[in-house]
Amino acid sequence: MTTRRVKDLAELPRDIPPARDLWPAIAEAIRADLAMKAVPDSRRRVGWWPAVGLAASVALVAVGVFIGKNFKQDQDQALAAIHTAAPDNDAGMIKASLRQAEYEKQRDQLWTEVQAKLNTMPPAEREKVGASLATLKKSIKDIEDALGRDPANALLQELLVNSSQEEMRVLTTVRDSGRQEL
Amino acid sequence: MRESGIRSLWALCALGALPLACAANEGSVDRKVNADPKGEVLISNVSGTIDVRGWDRNEIQVTGQLDEDVERVDVETSGGRTVIKVILPRGGHDGGDAMLEVQVPSGSSVEVSAVSADVSSKGVTGTQRLKSVSGEITAEVSGDDSEVRSVSGDITVHGNGKPGSLRVSSVSGSLDLTNGAGKLDVVTVSGDARVHMGDSSEINARTTSGEFELHARLLKDARVSVEGVSGDLTLDLGNSAGLALEIESFSGDISGCLADGKVEQVSKYGPGTRLNSRTGDGSARVRAKTLSGDIEICDR
Repeated sequence: MTTRRVKDLAELPRDIPPARDLWPAIAEAIRADLAMKAVPDSRRRVGWWPAVGLAASVALVAVGVFIGKNFKQDQDQALAAIHTAAPDNDAGMIKASLRQAEYEKQRDQLWTEVQAKLNTMPPAEREKVGASLATLKKSIKDIEDALGRDPANALLQELLVNSSQEEMRVLTTVRDSGRQEL
Repeated sequence: MRESGIRSLWALCALGALPLACAANEGSVDRKVNADPKGEVLISNVSGTIDVRGWDRNEIQVTGQLDEDVERVDVETSGGRTVIKVILPRGGHDGGDAMLEVQVPSGSSVEVSAVSADVSSKGVTGTQRLKSVSGEITAEVSGDDSEVRSVSGDITVHGNGKPGSLRVSSVSGSLDLTNGAGKLDVVTVSGDARVHMGDSSEINARTTSGEFELHARLLKDARVSVEGVSGDLTLDLGNSAGLALEIESFSGDISGCLADGKVEQVSKYGPGTRLNSRTGDGSARVRAKTLSGDIEICDR
């Protein structure tokens, strides 16, 4: 392979052919789109892909939370690791599911412990902290709902990962609050 | 059991048989110990107040009033480390106010742990770690690598304008930080946060539903990352070199007073707005993202 230094923009080729023929995939997408439009509105279904997308996103969160929790990487590194670890085959999906199950188990356990902690707090404080935790929970639900409608949205995925990590951090903080460390 | 113990104690006091115990049970503390000028001071108190004051003596003085439910205040010092701990009777975690004033060498590192006690700190130049569950925290912080945390208590921090590293977090309490500089991490869930920073190299902030307001002067190559879910974000950033902005909201609005800022729709069909802009050499990078909160940004 030879290299040559380009001195002027005009020297660059006007067209760069793609590495492979993209037309078959484009044609297939157009056909699917036309077929979808041909179906009456009442019979049109949202389809299964948002659910799969959401499931994949939740799996990403599970991986993200564990990366964040266990390795304490910063957010950018965690996100990079999540994208690297994104399940693109059955084995990857199974591993992600296991991590997700473990994450959900730990999260549920934390919520139980936090509830017990809230019960020991004075009423005003319990109400204030409880409301914040409910807000946190609702925010995650809102992001998940939005992801259900737009599963590929990178902003939503990032917010979900960060909010889920935040949930674990806050739950741990509340559970451990007031422990005499000295 | 505890009541009978107290009765016995008073009986002994009345008989003059236990003078030291009676002195300790009079409801006050006044202890003074020698201390390392840059030593470590750890203070814990469940309820009441903790006022930490830095002074120019190599001594630690602990004074204060104790509720009758407080058993005693331990002050132990060893190898540059002093531990001040309010002791409640076994199982007595709900009551027992102790109003402590602790004077420490100004260069000390201070760590305070409280439950409902209010915490205040002034004149300490070493690292501070101040934690309270529901008590308010008011602190002058100048030491590097300092941290202020609460669950439901409000936090007020005043920096000294010199670069340092500070972490402030609260779940439902509000945050008010003034005269900070250097590196800052702020986290709240539902509490509002208002931050005024001088020369800043790195700011990371996250809020769920609280409103976040940041006024900062960014240094060249500074990094700012602010994230919210439903809370509104207000960023007022000054930078003489220039900013590279990456602002995005899924369903909130983006507005402000940027000379070159043009907000665009993320998608032709769905919600979302984005602002990617660059001023000057763009050396200071600013990222702000929310789900449904509005973002307002100015660079003047």
